[in-house]
Amino acid sequence: MRILSMIIKDLKVILSDKKALGTILLMPVILTSILSAALQGNFGGEDFTRTVDIAIVKEYDKEKDKEKLKDTMRDMSNMVDLEMDIENMLDDNLDMEKIFFDEFLGNEDIKKFIDYKLTDREKAISLLKDGEVDSIVILPDNFLYDMNVNFLTTYRNEIDIKVVGDPDKSISTQIIESIMMGFTENLSSMIIGKNVFIEKALEEGGSFDVFNNLDTVIENISEELEESRVVVKNITIEGKKPISSFGYYSIAMTTMFILFSAGLGGRALLEEKDNTTYQRMIVSGTSKADIIAGKFFTIFSLALIQITTMITFSTFVLGVDWGNIINVVAISLLACFAVSGLGILISSLTFKSGNYKMANVFETVIIQGMALVGGSFFPVEIMPSFVQKLSLLSVNGLALKSFHKVMMGYEFKLIWKYLLSLFGIGVLCIAITLYVLKERGRVKNA
Amino acid sequence: MTLLKVENLKKSFKDVNAVNDITFQVNKGEIFGLLGPNGAGKSTTISIISTLLNPTKGKVFYRGEDIFKNPKAIQEKMGVVPQEIALYPTLKGYENLKFWGNLYGLKGNNLKKRIDEVADIVGLKDKLKTKVENYSGGMKRRLNIAAALLHEPEILIMDEPTVGIDPQSRNHILDTVLELNKKGMTIIYTSHYMEEVELLCTRISIMDKGQVIALGTKDELVNIIKGHKKIELTFDNIPPNLLDKLKIIEEVEEVDSKDNIIILTMKNGDMAFKDILDKVMGTESSILSIDIKKPSLEAVFLHLTGRALRD
Repeated sequence: MRILSMIIKDLKVILSDKKALGTILLMPVILTSILSAALQGNFGGEDFTRTVDIAIVKEYDKEKDKEKLKDTMRDMSNMVDLEMDIENMLDDNLDMEKIFFDEFLGNEDIKKFIDYKLTDREKAISLLKDGEVDSIVILPDNFLYDMNVNFLTTYRNEIDIKVVGDPDKSISTQIIESIMMGFTENLSSMIIGKNVFIEKALEEGGSFDVFNNLDTVIENISEELEESRVVVKNITIEGKKPISSFGYYSIAMTTMFILFSAGLGGRALLEEKDNTTYQRMIVSGTSKADIIAGKFFTIFSLALIQITTMITFSTFVLGVDWGNIINVVAISLLACFAVSGLGILISSLTFKSGNYKMANVFETVIIQGMALVGGSFFPVEIMPSFVQKLSLLSVNGLALKSFHKVMMGYEFKLIWKYLLSLFGIGVLCIAITLYVLKERGRVKNA
Repeated sequence: MTLLKVENLKKSFKDVNAVNDITFQVNKGEIFGLLGPNGAGKSTTISIISTLLNPTKGKVFYRGEDIFKNPKAIQEKMGVVPQEIALYPTLKGYENLKFWGNLYGLKGNNLKKRIDEVADIVGLKDKLKTKVENYSGGMKRRLNIAAALLHEPEILIMDEPTVGIDPQSRNHILDTVLELNKKGMTIIYTSHYMEEVELLCTRISIMDKGQVIALGTKDELVNIIKGHKKIELTFDNIPPNLLDKLKIIEEVEEVDSKDNIIILTMKNGDMAFKDILDKVMGTESSILSIDIKKPSLEAVFLHLTGRALRD
């Protein structure tokens, strides 16, 4: 009853303060709208300077492809000493696997961007889901066979190199796509050039006088390019949705601005003492634990009001789909729990020091720092890796990550670690608060 | 009947003794005054009695129970009116009273009834829907008192409740205190305003530098300086040699003059009027007035400490 009365009173006091109301409710709504709209076009930015980790899945069988190619070539007419030539070619200049892995991915320039590991499909998907790789490149069944056929014959077999990307890392996926596209386009050009050359030579009765008609060759190459037979397909992880700028900043601003509730709560205890209402509560028989609990749940309620407001606003006004409602509720409650713990910790330290320096430092430095490393300003993926690790120590970073996953359609089993961390932060803060206030003893009033 | 007993109470802050071995008791139904200048230790004493501070030494008993072993014993029965306005300025008067009532376990119709009653007592019934920040200083002080009355305390502790307010509000508060006491409430009233303590208090403890320097009813305290009554004689012109003539009167302890006024400090209760008038009549000057000053607590304090209360 007492705690409930204190919560109601505190909420009334805070909500009667127009400045505080503006900071905790209006600002996130305004900032989300502005940032979402402004960054809508180029949203999804990730770090271009870091290496993109990819998993490569070989779905072809090199030996099988080689045998199959030999058979094909053997079936073709008017070829002499075919077996020997093909064997030499495959082991030497036309070893497509060697070209792809050693010459292409092993190229110094490419190595600056791409770090790859070979694995099977299942393991690759698992690595992608765990965030250990940014994309998967799937080299399809018959890859080597088709590549060689396209090179050695006038046949044109379609080769679908699949790039499976994490929607959370759309830029990484785009980089991989571009690089793969560059590789395949080069190959296509070579194949086309070869085809045009062969076809022209045949038209000329087998002579090599085709260079006299180079303009025709180029024209034909252009036409053939439109029918390129090597394609790269971008596929997102099954069931996962990319996040729009509206979705991203709704989460980012929500998780950042709930920290301001902790900031408000951080001042509360000392303000009560300065107004002597704290002393009045004590002499009314209200225990210190009740007062702390009252402050804790006030911050909790305030943060919950903020999250509810933001979810409602972004859903109905910005059209953001937050994902599974149960998961969203779970994240919201645990984020509020952690923020409340943080709030009463700041409050107890401020109370103990007897001045507002601690609360000021929290509001001006710590909140901004957490907002930065937690990804509230920019996606955390563009930060150096140590900052990305730090983000998992920040309340907003953990909440942001969890909301993101749920918004993209991930299941609970992929966010529980973050939720456990939020819970842990809350519990740790409460424990420290109790220790700090236990040390304090009774309140000095005279 | 003794309601509250303070025994050898001492409170030190680092090397400062804010309260130094004081002892007194408060009887049921009385208004007990703690009088002293700022820094005398009144607020520290009140804070200890209110369970806000632990004493360095000594004990406080409420109805025979040690309040530091069982703070609830006094907390439930006590209302405290702090020197500061312990209210939430951005909330309405009603919301403030409702909150404090809730903390004392009041709810529902009982709470509403009590809010009405205390608002009536302090004269703020028609101002409860106004935010406290829009109250005058006097109204805030009255609401501050109302919040302490909600749970119908047996003992009310008021720490300088009239500081910084207009005379009208001050009179209202003093009337309220008397009215509450008339209804049976025991009150501990601290002030550095001698007139308030004189007007209100049944018994008075005069404090200075953390110690109780005098304790008793007003009459008992005044009796300390009974023989030090003053007579002021106002002349058109002070006659020559009159001061010397007055000094030889046996009952006169001291003769002083200021402008056209002669101030006589008497040794005892005997006014020795005849002797004084004989000396005056033998002069050519006209006497304009004779004023017999009754001893005050101010005079008692001055007598005991050598300083005025407001020094």
